[in-house]
Amino acid sequence: MSEILLKSENLARAFGGLQAVAGVSLSLPAGRVTALVGPNGAGKTTTFNLITGNLRADSGTAQIRGRPIMGLKPWQVARLGVARSFQDLRLFTHVTVRENVLAATETASWFWQPGGSRARRQREDRAAAALEATGLAALADARAIDLAYAERKFLSMARILAAEADIWLLDEPASGLDLASRLRFGELLRAATARGVAICLIEHNLDVVAELSDRIAFLDQGRVLAEGEPQAILRDPALAAIYFGDRPQEAA
Amino acid sequence: MTAYLANLATLVAIFGILAATLNFVVGFAGIFSVAHAVFFGLGAYAGAQVALQLFPDALLACLVAAIVAGGLSLCLALPALRVRGEYFVAASLGLQMMATTLFSEAKAFTGGIGGLVAIPRPTVAGVEVGVLPLALAALALILFLTARLQRGAFGRTLQSIRDAESAAEALGKNVAAAKTLAVAFACAGAGIGGALFALHLSFVNVESFTMDQSVLVMAMVIIGGTGTLWGPLIGAILLLSLPSGLAFLPFIPATEVGAVQQIVYGLAMTLLMIFRPAGLVGDLSKGRATA
Ligand SMILES: Nc1ncnc2c1ncn2[C@@H]1O[C@H](COP(=O)(O)OP(=O)(O)OP(=O)(O)O)[C@@H](O)[C@H]1O
Ligand SMILES: [Mg+2]
Repeated sequence: MSEILLKSENLARAFGGLQAVAGVSLSLPAGRVTALVGPNGAGKTTTFNLITGNLRADSGTAQIRGRPIMGLKPWQVARLGVARSFQDLRLFTHVTVRENVLAATETASWFWQPGGSRARRQREDRAAAALEATGLAALADARAIDLAYAERKFLSMARILAAEADIWLLDEPASGLDLASRLRFGELLRAATARGVAICLIEHNLDVVAELSDRIAFLDQGRVLAEGEPQAILRDPALAAIYFGDRPQEAA
Repeated sequence: MTAYLANLATLVAIFGILAATLNFVVGFAGIFSVAHAVFFGLGAYAGAQVALQLFPDALLACLVAAIVAGGLSLCLALPALRVRGEYFVAASLGLQMMATTLFSEAKAFTGGIGGLVAIPRPTVAGVEVGVLPLALAALALILFLTARLQRGAFGRTLQSIRDAESAAEALGKNVAAAKTLAVAFACAGAGIGGALFALHLSFVNVESFTMDQSVLVMAMVIIGGTGTLWGPLIGAILLLSLPSGLAFLPFIPATEVGAVQQIVYGLAMTLLMIFRPAGLVGDLSKGRATA
């Protein structure tokens, strides 16, 4: 069993009367892809936001390698090795593709980065490698806002690659990608897990989930209803009923 | 005529400093402040007081002005930076209004409405110098520094915050720290501009540090092109030469110059935003409404 890099226990968060996340416990092992699936509004994105400190949890805890991270700011969580993507991408639209990725390698908020010109060259190399791996090298000088849909999704991935985090929280990174792009995306994930990165992947397309994930956590109405091997979860007729929208308890 | 041109050039250099530093926060960090004249004023009063109370060393006056303006910007910006976007505009507006009143009331520091008068001629190392070379040197230094910062990692950090704050934070950037640094740098620069302004006129009062002045500097930045290096300077040259240019036109009666000037400004701004929304120097593809 590989090391658990990120662990959450009983995370909960309500918005007004809506219990968006109601006690989510997750474990992300190094070198594995854990898929987080569930219908719209199940609380998947909110779970990410609770872990990364974008939202404050009402209760529950989370640790990175045993270190508690509740109450930390998003940038502090990021510096502990967490990189996340956003469902709506949030690219740095008015700068170039290269600058988007370079920005991911520069974490010091001071007037200059530490390490001098040698460290700068290393960051540039990292950025170039990330662009190469995501197939964006030829577009390095284009502005992010001018990219096509799939290219934007890969730019979001390139930022994560360049950040050199070992925990990736990916919010629907493959949605709307064509088959060839999905294959490239799968290669990115496999290369990362081979290096020991722990990945949590939110994904609606169950074919993609079946192909890429090692484990599935099934979330509904803020709770993890089931967790296990992909084949077991995907074959469960009760979960399929919830996922595809005909809830038994809501039937007349 | 040469005295006239020297005066104009000095003012252009001083307002070039103001516009370049404001552009740093507006164009790069996306922090839309309408209180830049407050820090211009703080620097002017601080520089004037150094010259009046201690000795009129220009470098000392600029240093003290930068520290006072930059330092106070920290206290004032820290709470304000916690609010986002359009709320910051409102917060800076409030700051500007408050500061104008304080400047008129804090007689010990500002001389009240009457202002500070008889500020001695500046010296450097004991030798009397003109403000023009000092202002040009300060402008060159500030343009050099902003260019360095804008093109390097810090500029990229600010631009990433401007474009997607939460994504910048998710990549480990301490957004509040970066914004605070950017504001402190810009306000320290504005403070230097203020000290030079006080030494140049040898008289300052609150009228130079009002909302109108903040808006004028903002107009320089927008007309020249936000986020560009030379745009703010070009904006400063244009907006400062325009009134004098109009005064030379024989067919405009001297009493009407002010009104004509306002109309020309307004018209120029409107036309510019229609035809070159990113400013004179700005990238044409930027700022257009995209379908
Ligand atoms: N900041 C917020 N304020 C109020 N309600 C929120 C907020 N964020 C999420 N919600 C609500 O919480 C519930 C869970 O939302 P969440 O975005 O986590 O769902 P999701 O599983 O990511 O769904 P999707 O698959 O559509 O992305 C939804 O009902 C949503 O409307
Ligand atoms: Mg979501």
